[in-house]
Amino acid sequence: MTDTVLSIRNISKSFGGIHAVRDVSFDVQKGEVLGLIGPNGSGKSTLFNCVLGQLKPDTGEVRVNDQTVAGMRAAALNKLGVGRTFQQLSVFPQMSVLENIILAGQEHQGTMATRLFGPSDAGLTAEADQMIKFFRLEHLRDEMAGSLSYGQQKLVDAAMAFMAGPSLVLLDEPAGGVNLTMLANLKDRLRAYNREHGTTFVVIEHNMEFVMSLCTRIIVLAEGAIIAEGTPDEIRSNQQVIDAYLGG
Amino acid sequence: MAEFIQILISGLSAGSIYALAAVGFTLLWQASQTINFAQGEFVMLPAFFVLALTVKLGLPLPLAIILAIFLSVLLLGAVFKKLVVEPMIQHGTLPLVIATIALGLLLKEGVKEFYSPLGQPFPSLFPQDVLSVFGAAVSIPDIANFVIAMGTIIGLQLFLARTRTGRCMQATAQNPDVAQILGVDIKKMVLYTFLINGALAAIASVLITPIYLAKFSNGEVLGLVAFIAAIVGGFNQIRGALVGGLLIGVIDNLSAGYVSAEYRQAVPMLLLIFVILVRPQGLLGTSEGRAV
Repeated sequence: MTDTVLSIRNISKSFGGIHAVRDVSFDVQKGEVLGLIGPNGSGKSTLFNCVLGQLKPDTGEVRVNDQTVAGMRAAALNKLGVGRTFQQLSVFPQMSVLENIILAGQEHQGTMATRLFGPSDAGLTAEADQMIKFFRLEHLRDEMAGSLSYGQQKLVDAAMAFMAGPSLVLLDEPAGGVNLTMLANLKDRLRAYNREHGTTFVVIEHNMEFVMSLCTRIIVLAEGAIIAEGTPDEIRSNQQVIDAYLGG
Repeated sequence: MAEFIQILISGLSAGSIYALAAVGFTLLWQASQTINFAQGEFVMLPAFFVLALTVKLGLPLPLAIILAIFLSVLLLGAVFKKLVVEPMIQHGTLPLVIATIALGLLLKEGVKEFYSPLGQPFPSLFPQDVLSVFGAAVSIPDIANFVIAMGTIIGLQLFLARTRTGRCMQATAQNPDVAQILGVDIKKMVLYTFLINGALAAIASVLITPIYLAKFSNGEVLGLVAFIAAIVGGFNQIRGALVGGLLIGVIDNLSAGYVSAEYRQAVPMLLLIFVILVRPQGLLGTSEGRAV
């Protein structure tokens, strides 16, 4: 048993004549918080979508917890222990915060009859309440998710991603559009969750301050290839990275 | 006062049946962006299933009603989804709308051609006795229709809010992409919605047909009224469709009683125009952005 949670090997993906991702390989170890950064069009989202099974890479393999995820559907990936947050808001607007979080944690398989006669909260209210407390959302527990502010919905989205007890969580621009106070809270909660549960995070983000202060390691992509890898301090002072961002 | 109570209860009774059809409208819209313009004919047809089973096959009425509901769930739910909605929705909402208009015409003309162009008497489900409520004469069928229709809608609301299947159906309607990622079988949830609509239409049919006779053209008015009720109440809310249905039923009956029987059908249209101008999302609806 290795400590590698996510293994990406020689992934390439082209759209017509455009090489979005070129022969990218890296591993992410248990408990790591990896930042994936790069200028627009550098291939971050394409790589993310290959990991999530939403795009099929032309070459290479993605393994999560030693299992290949090729052809795996989103629900199966969720069951394998991969949680995710979304760039766009992903809550169920006409359900309460509590209902949203319960829905994210419950097992959805089985017949209509078995799910009709089981408890409507799938026995998850106490667990969902703990998650609500962890993300400091107690005062919003029974509010409709659609009535919350953008930043509050981002927190609900994060809480939902953790409900199924994932070993790997992919965070797609978690800081986008979130105000500074809420952002500090989100960062604090993500750090605490990582520390307490040892969950591995892979973060795509444009907010450099957020990435540099949250992540333990950073990979920089430019034109579909890895141009740098290291700690936040090493990345800050890397001339190739500075050139890529400044267009040099 | 007695006359007012009588008209009010009669309106609530009719309105609760309109609400059944209107709720079906909103369910299909929420789950699959299907605007079913054949909904009126969906309410017209099950009565003819009952007639065929009782008159042609000689089955007892209760058994015929149960079989008619089952047939409606199968044909107006599962078969409708498989043969009309699934092939057409891939081409967009508008082709599907046109297909449902065509289906409505097909059902109407089919009943006219193969059953009868004449109104058929439909057996009453309840005794025709009259009760006195605060001095007003209220018919038992009116009360029974109201109780059954409201009970059905409340039961549906409880099913959606209190069961795991219901919650998954709501999740599918509100955010299908995320529901699928969480492991919800969204295809099955959409199918359940169509089956429920078939059952709602059948219940509405057996409740309303004894009032009007069974006629191929019954769907014209019913479909329009249910559509107006859904828009007035709020197309994306079950409780909106319920309020819309009751409101239309009461206003329709009050205007027939106190204004003019000839213009009774114009009043819901005026209400529709007013609501669209003042509150386009409906009385209880929420505004939603959708790319079309």
